[in-house]
Amino acid sequence: MSASRSTTRIPRRTVLKGAVAGAAVLGFPLPLRAQGPVFKVGVVHPVTGPLAEPGQACRLGATMAAEAVNAAGGIKSMGGAKLELIFGDTQTKPDVGRTEAERVINQGAQMLMGSFDSGSTAAMVPVVQQRRVPFLVDIAAADPITANVAKAVKEGQQKVQYVYRNFPTGSSFGIKAVQYFSEVFKEAGVAPKRVVLMYCNDLFGQNNAKGFQAAHAAAKPSWDIVDVIPWPEPPQDLSTEVSRAKAARPDIIAPITRPASAQLLLPELRKQRLEIMGVVGPGSPGLYESGQLAVLKDDLEFVMASTPWANFKNPRTQKVAEDYQKRSGGKTFDTNSGYSYDGIFVIADVLERAKSADPDVIVDAIRKTNYGAGLMQYAGPVVFNELGDNPNAVTTMIQILGQKPVAVWPKEAALQKFVFPRPKR
Amino acid sequence: MDPTLIGQGLLSGLLFGGVYSLMAVGLTLIFGVMRVVNFAHGDMMVWGMYLAWMLSTRLGVDPYLGFGLCAAALFLLGWAIQRGLVHRIVDAPHEMQILLMLGVALVLENAALVAFGPDPQRVRSPLTAATVWLGPIFVDVARLVTFGLALALTLALWFFLARTDLGQRIRAAADNPYGALVIGTDVGRVYAAAFGIGAACVGAAGALVSPILPFQPAGGLSLSVASFNIVIIGGMGSLVGAFAGGLLVSVAESLGAVFLAPSMKELVSFSLLIVILLFRPAGLFGKRGT
Amino acid sequence: MRGGGIAALLAVAMLAALPAVLSSYAVTVFIFIFFYAYLGQAWNIVGGYAGQLSAGHAAFVGVGAYTSAMLSMTLGLTPWIGMFVGGLLSAALGALIGFLGFRFGLRGFYFVLLTVAFAEICRIVALNTDAVGGALGLYIGFTGNPRQFQFQDNRVYYYVALALMLAATGLVAVLERRRFGEYLRAIREDENACEALGVNTFKYKMLAMVLSSFLTGIGGTFYAYYLFSLQPNSVFGIPLSVEIIIRPNVVGAGTVLGPILGSFILSPLGEISRIYLSQGGWSGLHLIGYGLLLIAVVLFFPQGAYPTLIKLGGSERRSSPKPPHRV
Repeated sequence: MSASRSTTRIPRRTVLKGAVAGAAVLGFPLPLRAQGPVFKVGVVHPVTGPLAEPGQACRLGATMAAEAVNAAGGIKSMGGAKLELIFGDTQTKPDVGRTEAERVINQGAQMLMGSFDSGSTAAMVPVVQQRRVPFLVDIAAADPITANVAKAVKEGQQKVQYVYRNFPTGSSFGIKAVQYFSEVFKEAGVAPKRVVLMYCNDLFGQNNAKGFQAAHAAAKPSWDIVDVIPWPEPPQDLSTEVSRAKAARPDIIAPITRPASAQLLLPELRKQRLEIMGVVGPGSPGLYESGQLAVLKDDLEFVMASTPWANFKNPRTQKVAEDYQKRSGGKTFDTNSGYSYDGIFVIADVLERAKSADPDVIVDAIRKTNYGAGLMQYAGPVVFNELGDNPNAVTTMIQILGQKPVAVWPKEAALQKFVFPRPKR
Repeated sequence: MDPTLIGQGLLSGLLFGGVYSLMAVGLTLIFGVMRVVNFAHGDMMVWGMYLAWMLSTRLGVDPYLGFGLCAAALFLLGWAIQRGLVHRIVDAPHEMQILLMLGVALVLENAALVAFGPDPQRVRSPLTAATVWLGPIFVDVARLVTFGLALALTLALWFFLARTDLGQRIRAAADNPYGALVIGTDVGRVYAAAFGIGAACVGAAGALVSPILPFQPAGGLSLSVASFNIVIIGGMGSLVGAFAGGLLVSVAESLGAVFLAPSMKELVSFSLLIVILLFRPAGLFGKRGT
Repeated sequence: MRGGGIAALLAVAMLAALPAVLSSYAVTVFIFIFFYAYLGQAWNIVGGYAGQLSAGHAAFVGVGAYTSAMLSMTLGLTPWIGMFVGGLLSAALGALIGFLGFRFGLRGFYFVLLTVAFAEICRIVALNTDAVGGALGLYIGFTGNPRQFQFQDNRVYYYVALALMLAATGLVAVLERRRFGEYLRAIREDENACEALGVNTFKYKMLAMVLSSFLTGIGGTFYAYYLFSLQPNSVFGIPLSVEIIIRPNVVGAGTVLGPILGSFILSPLGEISRIYLSQGGWSGLHLIGYGLLLIAVVLFFPQGAYPTLIKLGGSERRSSPKPPHRV
């Protein structure tokens, strides 16, 4: 497997953009393209630091989407304006996130997209509210990011909500996961009773785990969560945690992982010979990426995960996924790259309808969004509710079959039938 | 409480302790001899892991065989860092040395990021899948081998320090740098050798651990913190302390994972650290009055 | 002295006038310069002057931040008062750490580790406590309401941060001249000698620690109400502690201007390296640059940049003597 680097290709465009950005800081505006109007979008993700891998995927997804939009003629209602992306790196630090948001706005960004981790994203909210820059959160699950702004507007503390999110919220992850669990069990004709929830004790893991447990308590399905085992992230050793899980005699292991912990967990499950019907995750990274498959191989086979996923039934998605694979050095077009890609297209759609760079007009257009051409799996067109979230952003149950992640549930999204319970080794 | 679970926790903790011990041995040598707080320790170990990974993927060398090469490479790095950087600020305030090693840590971490990308990696070795079952309790063969090798390396290091010429000079310089100068030891070279050997240990540790632990460039910091914990608890400057400390911390964390929420298991080692700091700062096996 | 005073006033006047001409981005950069300088100055009291190196000061930022945020969210208490409550709680934690450390005779590296251990414990406890939001943390709604210590205009934050930095610096300047400062410096240089002379080193170190942690705790409230979210890993984490101690130490710990100059040097350098080197797609290159820079600064200014800067400035400022290398 080739070393995964986003550095194998540095498009000339990016170097030129770098020069422009640098020049802009010094105060010498250099025209990048002498022809035509331009609309600048700040795209800020954690491309270095512990979240570098998904951050770089997001950046690449956004880059490809902007190129596609521009190749199709740009924003026609704004005189064919091309989208120009100004990149930022949050380093997964909230203070850097805030500074980067300010910087890209200073360089002319009139909209913002980002930023993956909820801490940096929350730090950008005041900036966009202060400077009136519409902000589309492409990925970040913490519910309060949008809810707080909606509340402030409702209470009259802020005039306009500038923050919108096109990604499933933390609570929706849990609800869908519980639903899919029950549906899959029913469709398979089996009735597992004991589910052990194991999760990484970081922001995403805790949030997801709580959502899963809350949804389970509300739905009261026929299966129980008999033990809950969090581990510190990143873990050095999960043997004791797995022993504990085994002692609970599980039928199903439900893991919420990060790539590093998944690399520890799955082989450990095999080593300790857990006799289970399957590994079904409520939704997390680490269970489907090409890098993970290369390392874990058979340990990932038949693993299921309820995760935001691209709609591969759409031929456009397949084409984009192929391109993405080439440009990223072999990676799958997944949650991160996918939602950033769709984010740019949603922005383009918004601008097309807004016909103006005025922030409040753009916000108006955002609220009226009804975009059906997204590449991700949605439960309907992209719309934004009163909190600023997209209720149609949902997860899909995928499964690793033949060493490839495939959508298996719900039926309308499924490309293949799932295999459950997993075959005995 | 399930006795099998407790027993398994103990055994797993003990075996994984070998990994911890290996990490700590290199650090205790560097600190014990030179009082240098090697904040780049974890990042050096990550480089050891990546070197083992390169050997495995490019040349097909199993890490259990190739760890010597990783150790040698890290030795050179350690030597260079000591001679080129640390030696120059030997008279500077302590804070400067910490800053220096922080800078080195930053460079190492991000050089790894640029070179290898951010994805977590693991080295494949036929040993990783092997388990041996003793009734209801299982033994992870890879960890058992690592434990054995850690023990062997620690003994080798002990032998080196106790019996060889260079080793004795290192210990002399550690105990009494001025005295060592007086009798004509080239303290600079001795220090560089010690740093190099410490780095070699951590390089070997990284290689031996690479099939067990997934690694990524950003992982260095937590490894550094864990190593410092162990070395203080075990006793700064004591090989036995580093080894025993590694076992102790690992078992404590493992039992903590059995009885408490596993996500709190680091609390156990930090609490242990505080207790040691207060009541026996030299560590369990360290020399008094250090 | 007079010349120094006038120069200082001019500098302050200039800083006060800057927001009129700066972009919001530049204002933000300055806000972080001032904020980290403030934290560094608070640290300076115990770490620089008293010579007790703490690498766990993030714990106080976290305690202060979480306290005022929780009080605001659950009791509706305005952060203007909450910040002092947070400061007091941080001071209590500082007293605990100080008591344990100093009573048990922990010096040098051992004290460093004690502080790190406490910070990590705070982090892990916060991570696992649902009441403070666990790993998800606390999210403060942005209302821009000054009564909630929030401002619609970025420039107001600028002046708050500037005021914090100046207040802390003023305090340190005053303390430096009084007996308190003399005692701290003496303790830093040779604690055993001080004890032999009958100085109550424990008392002075404790005072320094409590004052330092109190001020840092107040800084925590600023952090909460400027960044609007608190996560245990960010706010209690080692990287934040490192950011706090880097600035005073690059220039020279135990000097009044150290944290300020250090912040003015390091923050822009971090910005520049991130902007120029990060654009090309080589993610991580800018942090390599930052690391190399740290190494260079240490190699070329092993006693801290301060003495060199003084020589360059040519002023007669009274500089604190550097402590001898501890063996």
